[in-house]
Amino acid sequence: MSDDARGWRIALVPDTLINAPAAISTGLPDVLEVLEVNGYGVLQLPPPGEQRLLLAVIADQVAEYAHHGYAVVAIGVRGEPGDGLHWRRLAPLLRHRGAPLPPRHVIRPEGEASTEAQRLATFLAGYDLPPEEQRRWRV
Amino acid sequence: MNAPRKVALVANCLLNQNAKVCQGAHYRGVVSPVVEALRRRGYLLQQLPCPELAFAGVRRWWAVYEQYDTPAYRDHCRRLAQAIAPRIEEYLRRGDEVILIGLDGSPSTGVRFTSSAPDWGGRPNRPQDDWQIVPRRGIWIEELEAELARRGLPRLPATGWALDMGRFDEAGSRRDLDEFLDGQENAAASPREDPAAP
Repeated sequence: MSDDARGWRIALVPDTLINAPAAISTGLPDVLEVLEVNGYGVLQLPPPGEQRLLLAVIADQVAEYAHHGYAVVAIGVRGEPGDGLHWRRLAPLLRHRGAPLPPRHVIRPEGEASTEAQRLATFLAGYDLPPEEQRRWRV
Repeated sequence: MNAPRKVALVANCLLNQNAKVCQGAHYRGVVSPVVEALRRRGYLLQQLPCPELAFAGVRRWWAVYEQYDTPAYRDHCRRLAQAIAPRIEEYLRRGDEVILIGLDGSPSTGVRFTSSAPDWGGRPNRPQDDWQIVPRRGIWIEELEAELARRGLPRLPATGWALDMGRFDEAGSRRDLDEFLDGQENAAASPREDPAAP
């Protein structure tokens, strides 16, 4: 895939971090921008509530990536139920599909937005699959 | 009463180029010109699922409309449509302005154009294989629109980011998208215009 630009890294991101409500957005970093700069793709998670079918559809996609050499992480936000990640439902769906649970990073809305952006960028830049897994798939 | 918002439904790969077929990714992850154009105009983003990734896998071959036009693939697309339609219905019922940005040239997510080659099959032979760009919806968009219609929802204003049209022209795609979004703004503004105003 030499003429292919994909970054091989993907983040699960709650709706509230993609479409931050104006009222709380001042405390949140621009997560989409940090992801873009670090070369991550996005899988958007729905807001809290009954989203059984949509979460199953998302779990199918995560499992497909996880089984083929892609690094998948999850970005939560403190203050949302389950950090906005639907973990109690998503974790068994992923286990059922034989996919490992993505490492999690949690944004702290009470912190400085710039500090939180830096913490997120450090987490994103530092994570990837082991080199031998990368070599196996990413040719 | 909550103020109506602007919501853009976006093709999965516009936020995640890892969903693209092998050799089809033009960005590392987020397609930033699309995201910037939408956010600059105040749109919230709602990502659609990728039907091809979950059906044929991330290591699938290139394909055209006719190859995906099977009852099983359409069933799969209907399942995805039923998964995302409640979100879309929620936006529309609260009075939000909802638009759809697909991926032109895609056999699944094309809006203005899809790719066609009725004789494709067997061993892939890119780049010798040739296909046509034809003006019609991709299969996923057809099934998504059908699901929204079944729910009695209006047809959404829609366009596509022209990523899969053969040669990708980012500047041209950007102009097309801006033109579409400007048109939406004008359409939203015109009912409130007072013809007597100076």
